[in-house]
Amino acid sequence: MSKRLLGLILVLPALATITLLFIVPLGASVVGAFEVEGRYGLGNFDKAFALYSQDILFTVVIVSLSTAIIGLVAIAIGGYLTLGENPHAVAVLRWLYRWPLFIPFIVVGQVLRTFLAKNGMMNNTLVSLGILTPLETTSFLDWRGIVIAFVWKQAPFVALLVSGAMASLDRGTIEAARNLGASRLRILIEIVVPQVATTLIVGLVLSFVTMMSVLSVPLMINAQSPTMITADIAFRLNAYRDYGVANALGLISLLITASIAWIYLRHNVRSRA
Amino acid sequence: MTSLATTTPATGRRLPRIDLWWLPRGLVLGLLAFIIFGPLTNLVLWTVAERWYFPHALPLEYGFSYWQRVFSPRGNAMESLANSVFVATLTVIAALALAVPAGYALARLKLPLRSLILIAFLIPQAFPNLPVYVNIARLFYGLGLNGTIPGVVLVHVTHGLVYAVWIATAAFSAVDRELEEAARSIGASALRAFRDVTLPLAAPGLMASAIFVFLESLDEFTGSFFVGAPDVNLLPLLLYTAGAGGNYQIASITALLLLVPSIAFMLVVERFLKADVLSRVGH
Amino acid sequence: MKTLFNAALALGLAATPAAAAELTVVTAGDQNMVEYVSEYLGPLFEKENPGAKVRVVGTGPGDAGSQKILERFEAQAKAGSAKWDVDVAVVHEKFAGPMVEAGYLEAYRDKIPSGKLVTRGNADMALGTRVSGYVMPMFNSQTALAYNPNLLANPPKSYAELAEWAKANPKQFGYNGIKGGASGVSFVMGWIYAFGEGDAGKLQNGPFEEAETKKWDKALASLKDFTRHATLTPGNAGTLDLLSRGEIAMGPVWVDMFYSWQADGRLPPDLKLILPEPGMPGQPMHYVVPAKSPNRELAEKFVAMATSPKVQAEGIVKRFNWYPGIDAQHVQAELDDATWNKLFKDITPEDLAKNGKPFPIAPYNNAILEAYERQVSN
Repeated sequence: MSKRLLGLILVLPALATITLLFIVPLGASVVGAFEVEGRYGLGNFDKAFALYSQDILFTVVIVSLSTAIIGLVAIAIGGYLTLGENPHAVAVLRWLYRWPLFIPFIVVGQVLRTFLAKNGMMNNTLVSLGILTPLETTSFLDWRGIVIAFVWKQAPFVALLVSGAMASLDRGTIEAARNLGASRLRILIEIVVPQVATTLIVGLVLSFVTMMSVLSVPLMINAQSPTMITADIAFRLNAYRDYGVANALGLISLLITASIAWIYLRHNVRSRA
Repeated sequence: MTSLATTTPATGRRLPRIDLWWLPRGLVLGLLAFIIFGPLTNLVLWTVAERWYFPHALPLEYGFSYWQRVFSPRGNAMESLANSVFVATLTVIAALALAVPAGYALARLKLPLRSLILIAFLIPQAFPNLPVYVNIARLFYGLGLNGTIPGVVLVHVTHGLVYAVWIATAAFSAVDRELEEAARSIGASALRAFRDVTLPLAAPGLMASAIFVFLESLDEFTGSFFVGAPDVNLLPLLLYTAGAGGNYQIASITALLLLVPSIAFMLVVERFLKADVLSRVGH
Repeated sequence: MKTLFNAALALGLAATPAAAAELTVVTAGDQNMVEYVSEYLGPLFEKENPGAKVRVVGTGPGDAGSQKILERFEAQAKAGSAKWDVDVAVVHEKFAGPMVEAGYLEAYRDKIPSGKLVTRGNADMALGTRVSGYVMPMFNSQTALAYNPNLLANPPKSYAELAEWAKANPKQFGYNGIKGGASGVSFVMGWIYAFGEGDAGKLQNGPFEEAETKKWDKALASLKDFTRHATLTPGNAGTLDLLSRGEIAMGPVWVDMFYSWQADGRLPPDLKLILPEPGMPGQPMHYVVPAKSPNRELAEKFVAMATSPKVQAEGIVKRFNWYPGIDAQHVQAELDDATWNKLFKDITPEDLAKNGKPFPIAPYNNAILEAYERQVSN
């Protein structure tokens, strides 16, 4: 049996599952995106860009920014778990960092709304500790709130993946570099991170996709305009029952994600070759 | 942080140095603890808050009346929780059964259109689901899968596969090919080499993906409503109606309930993983 | 657990049809709506109809909740299911019209005794679509401005006064735009009623004329200016949340939600409501019965009970402090004066009659929202 055929047979069940149960139903939606009053055209896309181009840009910026911060936080956590020298501090961190993973997004939205508000729990605590005065408090319920919510929820996800990959690295090179007097930060950046790059980037791509599709966080935290694409899709459907523009926005969202994934995959193929 | 108390007593000469290092360490860990547990404390307080509004920094009155509402005999919180855990477990099993061969093939075997296949697995997450669910529900009604456990599991599997396939592919890619080839060269069959060498080495990644698939299933609302309810009720339905309406107490209690199986699952996976990896070492 | 194993046994098989006497109620709205059906109406109905069992599914608050019910019907209609899996649904006014037009519903109002107790126009027309016979109102809701008397002793009593006050007190007024729930939408509609150059009556009753949609530019420009001085809140619940924290002094809320938040201890008890001139919209939640309900007779009985004067008095008014769905005089007769008057603590029946408006009919509604998207939030 050729390797190609074997490969296809192994992938087929999983591929068939998502094709039949998601991509086929999606087909009707995709066709709908090009349909305007019974005729085919790009009217829905024109409208989507006319009304929501700011929101599309906003979404890309917010999600990219969050992804970058998530990557840094995850490397920092994973790095300390791998290279940290104090077993107590490592144990505390290991116990600490994973909790947000288990909180569903809708609850993340709720707890951060009451936590980050101007008179929310964070500012109340800071004021009672004397770090802030009531006049200095500000509300974070805008784009910053979305970024905080995304990082809070997704950084543990990537950190879990990355620290797992770091843990299975060969300690030999790390010890050798350490003996030669390399600082831990240098070891992290020059030795550890390059070796877990695939896992890190896979984690970040998955986080990117997840954040693109979350509805509750922008709805519950961000009061301002612009907002995220998912909120616009929900609005098109619930307010106007306008599947055309909603699907056009969905397709735009899909294209953004697919291009990110594509960049990664091209790079990945090149580096494997 | 009670950092100083937990340091082991060291020799007199080394003690001051350790103390100094605990200063930045304690500061960073303390800050992290505030960032993580601040919002979580908020959540826990809401589960027992009877009255809580400005300018009171803490609830005015504590009690368990909302717990009674969640667990009222006519409500089906416990049944929903049991259903959710059952569905999530089946989802993990099904998703991994599909993702392990697929991930291995995508990582190791030459596949045509590999990139496109990987992108295809992203689609269920990448296309915001709201406008698609009418079509999915219609398909499931047509197949008679609405209101059945298999139906809900299938819906959750399509979303879980995003994580399972991508992470499995990364995990298998990270396994050194030479180890597998070494096993083959001493006469192990391809299947045996996979079972004894590749799979154990990829296990940490696969287990991490199992956790994410479990969580994804446990928190999923839209598919659970369209395909599950009213015959198969899952806990996120309660979480969603309460959460979206700003019913902080009930949403917090539900979230706390969902925390129990999530953490239990992770602990089980970790224990299993340790035992498993260790047992393979001596093989 | 029992259903769990039953369902597990059905692995791979077609969905088992619900037992003959199992009545499935699907309701949009907050968790308290779900609890109302499962904890109050359910036991009452089961006592009156031995052998029947009521089960309830919540689909979430706001238009999104009703949209999911509509989509569920649509999916079953397109799949050609002979019997649907819903017996009674509770939906927002806005979704009754599309459901009737698509032919999903059964006309049952004339078959039940309480059908005669409803004379208010919104049981016949829903945003410009004739729904007479297909719906029974569960309760009437109203939007109003909630305010914190500690921060604002003399609240503005009209939209004109509000515009002035908000300018003088920046960020003290908060609303949730139009994407975060209907209380913000309602505030915007009220703004157009107050400052639009067209005829508010025509917006509410039709007919739709394209020319009318050109008369809002000035009102929207002033709303854009107003919004700059206001605080934007995250959602219906977000407005209530910021009110409860004292971050804003005033904001539009649903009256039913306001009372629920107060009852659940999330709002200070001293907050008050006011219904400003020339009025803000309200809407009913409707009971509907799908034409393909598997238990149609039982479903009709259920709605008949739920809209009877006694249940409307005990359940809707006394339990929730919500405005009844059927005509007020039938409900008032069932209650003592103190309970009845609590309904009108802040907003008098006269205010309600004068300033409680319907939403604009669907085409105007959409046109206003889209104009807001283009001119205010863009």
